[in-house]
Amino acid sequence: MDGMAQANAAPVEVSIGATATLMFLVAGKQFAVDLARVERILDYRRPTRTPRRPPHVEGIIQHDGRYLPIMSLRKRLGVEGPGPANPAILLLTGIGRDPVVGVVVDQVLHVLSLPPDRLLLPPPRVFGIRAEFIRGVANAGGRPVVWLDESKFLTSAEAITLLA
Amino acid sequence: MGRFVPPSRRTRARVETPGVREKFLLFRVGDEIYGMALRGLREVLLSDGVALLPASPSQICVALAHRGHRLPVIRMRALFEGAQAGMPAAARVLLTEGQGRPLGLLVDEVLEMVEVDPAHIAPVPALATLLDPACFRGLFTRKDRVILLVNEHGLGGADEVLQFNAAGT
Repeated sequence: MDGMAQANAAPVEVSIGATATLMFLVAGKQFAVDLARVERILDYRRPTRTPRRPPHVEGIIQHDGRYLPIMSLRKRLGVEGPGPANPAILLLTGIGRDPVVGVVVDQVLHVLSLPPDRLLLPPPRVFGIRAEFIRGVANAGGRPVVWLDESKFLTSAEAITLLA
Repeated sequence: MGRFVPPSRRTRARVETPGVREKFLLFRVGDEIYGMALRGLREVLLSDGVALLPASPSQICVALAHRGHRLPVIRMRALFEGAQAGMPAAARVLLTEGQGRPLGLLVDEVLEMVEVDPAHIAPVPALATLLDPACFRGLFTRKDRVILLVNEHGLGGADEVLQFNAAGT
């Protein structure tokens, strides 16, 4: 599956001044990242485990001749237990020193346009995540969606535990 | 007519040499496969002579009594996995040289020798490991499996090895 094609299947209206984000699920919670950073969406494949990796790093995969570090958002959020049978890997650019990194999420939902008037400044913590790692919070389908500052969130060594 | 450039200032064309491949010895540590350049390998030893004193299960650098010398050996499983490394029957010591001094790498099993085109060796992604990047030469793919290549010179500069050598001199 080329997941990007699926994620972009529906036409998306992005209003002026709005930011296009990609929305996804992790442990039943809705999150979003800046769509401009999403290079591609891949089906999950088991990475080669790397030695002495950070707890949320699963290893390395090869894709299109490049070697990409793979991180689990479930592990980054301290979520215990197995994830879904068919998670997805978002290839994100501009995270740390690697040109592209892969981030495992439970399920990709759709592209979400976030105009400024729909965005709320985050309280000190959202689902246990400090506001420093969040660009904003919005409402999508009657439920909160947390727009992550993906670079800070994925490169920080700070432990995070997702709260219900 | 082209401008004359003195021979000493001409840009030398890059010469590709197809077919020049480097040999690597593959070995297993835990569930993963790694490799090291064959040209740096002196001997492959049975692990019988590897002393585990002082007895710390997670100790990374241990001593090997070899031909009247006491050499540092990195327990690769302890280094890579932080695991309390046992000594499987197939374990071997790869005797090489790091930082100009003898160095052993204790691995779980020696597998095979392969040839790799150096042009196909890529750097290890920065986020993939917390170890010093100097510990790795790079990585390549073999049979859909990513294989990391260790750099014995980088490993020889590990703090534990330097302390071992300093204590022995």
